[in-house]
Amino acid sequence: MDKGVGIRIEGLSKRYGKGDTAVDALKEVNMQVAPGEVVGLIGPSGSGKTTLLKCLGAVIEPTQGRMTLGGEAIYDNGWTISDLRVLRRDRIGFIFQAPYLIPFLDVTDNVALLPMLAGRPNGEARARAVDLLTALDVAHRAKAEISELSGGEQQRVSIARALANRPPVILADEPTAPLDSERALAVMRILDQMATQYQTAIIVVTHDDKIIPTFKRMYHIRDGHTYEEAGQGLSLQ
Amino acid sequence: MISLAGRDILHSWGKFALTGLGLGLLIGVTFTMAGVYRGMVDDAKVLLNNSGADLWVVQKDTLGPYAESSSIPDDVYRGIRGLSGVAQAANVTYLTMQVRKGNTDVRAMVVGFEPGQPGEPGYLVAGRRITRGHYEAVADVVTGFRVGDRIRIRRHDYTVVGLTRRMVSSGGDPMVFIPLKDAQEAQFLKDNDAIVNSRARTAENPALNRPGVPGLLDAINASQTSNHNVNAVLVRVAEGRSAEAVAQDIRRWKHLQAYTRGQMEDILIAKLIATASKQIGMFLVILMIVSAAIVAFIIYTMTLGKIREIAVLKLIGTHNITISSMILQQALGLGLIGFVVGKIAATLWGPLFPKYVLLLPEDAVRGFVIVMVVCVLASTLAIRAALKVDPATAIGG
Amino acid sequence: MKMPFSLPRQVWFVLTGIALVLAFGWVATQSGPFAPIKVTVTRVDRGNVAPALFGIGTVEARRAYLIGPTAAGRVGRVLVDVGDAVKAGQLLTEMDPVDLDKRVASAAAAATRGRSAVVTAQAQVTDARSRQALAASEAGRYVDLGKKNFVSQSVVDTKLQQQQSADAQLAAAESALASARQDVIRLDAEREAAQQQRSNIRLLAPVDGVVTSRDAEPGSTVIAGQAVLKLQEPGSLWVTVRLDQGRSAGLRAGLPADIVLRSRPGKVLTGKVMRVEPISDSVTEERIAQVAFDTLPPRVSSNEMADVTLHLPAASDVLILPNAALRHRGAEAGVWLRTDGKLRFVAVKTGAEGLDGKVQIIDGLKAGDEVVVYSEREFNDDSRIKVVDALSGDAR
Repeated sequence: MDKGVGIRIEGLSKRYGKGDTAVDALKEVNMQVAPGEVVGLIGPSGSGKTTLLKCLGAVIEPTQGRMTLGGEAIYDNGWTISDLRVLRRDRIGFIFQAPYLIPFLDVTDNVALLPMLAGRPNGEARARAVDLLTALDVAHRAKAEISELSGGEQQRVSIARALANRPPVILADEPTAPLDSERALAVMRILDQMATQYQTAIIVVTHDDKIIPTFKRMYHIRDGHTYEEAGQGLSLQ
Repeated sequence: MISLAGRDILHSWGKFALTGLGLGLLIGVTFTMAGVYRGMVDDAKVLLNNSGADLWVVQKDTLGPYAESSSIPDDVYRGIRGLSGVAQAANVTYLTMQVRKGNTDVRAMVVGFEPGQPGEPGYLVAGRRITRGHYEAVADVVTGFRVGDRIRIRRHDYTVVGLTRRMVSSGGDPMVFIPLKDAQEAQFLKDNDAIVNSRARTAENPALNRPGVPGLLDAINASQTSNHNVNAVLVRVAEGRSAEAVAQDIRRWKHLQAYTRGQMEDILIAKLIATASKQIGMFLVILMIVSAAIVAFIIYTMTLGKIREIAVLKLIGTHNITISSMILQQALGLGLIGFVVGKIAATLWGPLFPKYVLLLPEDAVRGFVIVMVVCVLASTLAIRAALKVDPATAIGG
Repeated sequence: MKMPFSLPRQVWFVLTGIALVLAFGWVATQSGPFAPIKVTVTRVDRGNVAPALFGIGTVEARRAYLIGPTAAGRVGRVLVDVGDAVKAGQLLTEMDPVDLDKRVASAAAAATRGRSAVVTAQAQVTDARSRQALAASEAGRYVDLGKKNFVSQSVVDTKLQQQQSADAQLAAAESALASARQDVIRLDAEREAAQQQRSNIRLLAPVDGVVTSRDAEPGSTVIAGQAVLKLQEPGSLWVTVRLDQGRSAGLRAGLPADIVLRSRPGKVLTGKVMRVEPISDSVTEERIAQVAFDTLPPRVSSNEMADVTLHLPAASDVLILPNAALRHRGAEAGVWLRTDGKLRFVAVKTGAEGLDGKVQIIDGLKAGDEVVVYSEREFNDDSRIKVVDALSGDAR
């Protein structure tokens, strides 16, 4: 696994539409996250953070700029990777606003799905899933149905899923929005732990004041521009 | 790799099973309609086989005796018996009429036959063959009669002495076999009022009621109430002789037509059943379309219910093919359940239909293939919807 | 969805799947073309066959008489009506005599006149005789005188001639008498003829009997040979039975008969075959037999229908089978023999058949052979069959 530079974004721009009705959602964004770092991406709605996340997640195509992932350029004024899906599957982990677990798979299979899709044999995929679940302290629910889990348990399972293929990057979209402060901090704690343990670069998009203080480094985004800011780095212990 | 389709089915097995059951009943109805058509064709074939004849000799220029009415004199068979290549030739009459038992009556085809000759039922399921020359009958079980019942045909009472099975007319009416002379009388003689009226009318006709010729009126009345016609002569051809050759011989006679079994099958199936088969064909097409629509609707709804999961799956890196094949497998699974339920249902309720329902294995195989193809086509709607989902929608909101 | 059972879901799924497959398999093999054909079998036994012939009969009078005139005329009076018993010789009807009475009278008068003519002729003969006697004696005397030459020869000749003439007149008178006598005979005969014609219009009963029909009323005109009344002897009713030619083997006079009149369906009357008609009906292909009642039941009408069963001598201790076992293959009659679980069609020759369906097997089988009796369908040598006790009377 490439333990290179994590994420690097240079001069990324995204324009929707053409001519008079064109909207510049991103204007020359620069960003960098090292492996093991948990970085916040903070901005109000409409600021372009979702667009940035989508570009990072390789689900929409930027208009221009450069993206490097783990030392390998994936976008340089055009996709440089042929199969974006494989990129997303193997190199990017997603944590959504809601857990979005697959309801007809049990907990273990939800987590093991991605390694299985990547071609790993079922036994190995499930073993890895159990490891992750143990690390996230939900192993006792390994065989349960998704509907039986509490919100917090589902959240942790979704985190385990994001980590299942050991991606170098995780993109988290408002992971603490529906949670209270105690739970929110617990989630941040876990993310921090996982980042350190697996040397993953994690970007957390949020506007949740409860967790903003925990970031050591943050990017603010407004009207398509980003600027870096050092965070408070509140301890999560 | 686990089977996403299988997991999804297991997870919502109730919905799936109920849908499969409903679809299965619809498919069962489709099988039954096809079975009704096959039953009609089989009725025609059985009618021809059970008569034991190789040739049907009927009135010239008619398609009789089943498709059209045919009337020939009852002494024609003597000449036919004398032809080379003819092993047996016998008169038969056919008349579809109401047969009364107690207070109920049954629509049946009354067949007049000569014992030991073509036209007699080849096998029985109960009772015995007719031993008296009059007033005994053998009936098909579909009539509902039992051995020993007294039934009324026209003017006389008959005792049911034997029962047979699968002796039906091409229209599906059960057959009742009675001695030929009784059948000739039943076909011809009217009820008492009509006879009395006819006698009165003849007596009023001065040309027929001549006082100078005693006995003339009686003779005319007697000739008016006797019937010397039959509907057909059934012929069994001798071993090793060609039925068509014998038929050619018979056709050379004036006023007679002879059909071989192949020609009779054509007449019955092509002409008699043609309209019904078109109707059934249209019905089958409609049922197929409805089944396809139902499968498409169900699968589409199930897919739409999973749109969010599909977006997530696509986002996290699931191949389009994996997702499409999940939908396809679900559609095929639904089709398989429907087919099995439908085939079992059709077999179980087929005997309850008033007409004969014949379910052939090749129809089941054909039905299976069609169900699978229909499911594949029906799933394309849902697959298109799934493919159009933008994985980006999983982010944001 | 939560299942209330303890077994894991997959196991239930598999069990259901197996159950469905088994049901499918059962359905495929037990019905439709793959299913075995159900049949019943029986063994060829020894027993008795009571063959009988059955036919429809009409009650008829052995002898029926048509009472009618021998010449066209008008019916005068009818003295009896339908149902009346009459004695032999009784006057039944009389035609209108018209002029017959006058003719009889005229013939009688003519005969009487003829007799008178005979008397006249008799008198003339007497007269002629007397004249002849006189002429003869005179002629004799004159001949004598002539011989003595007392008179001329011409006078003698004249007297001789007178004598000849008187002889002739006598002869003539005698022949006239004879002819008048013959005339009387003729006129008598004519008178008798007229009387016979007169008595011909009186129709008398030829035998003791019962009037069965009154066909002409007084005043109606009938022609020669037309019946005014029909008569039959009451004890002479018998049953004319028609039997299918093909099913009349063994028909002969003397066979005992059971007669059931349509008007008395429950009552079986006994009788015997009196006569088998030498001429059969070729149009209806029937033989005709006359069966007499042992005791004539009262109030039986002519032309009534009856069902007649003639009993043939029984065949005892012969091989028998129910006739439902007889089948045809092509034009051959036989049965399906079951040996060692396999089927084979054997041609048989049958003998007597009883009305109860038992038929005698003359050739082709032996006692104890197992034979198929009832079957659901036609089958052939290589059909799969399944032996059951009885086939249900249900449709499929």
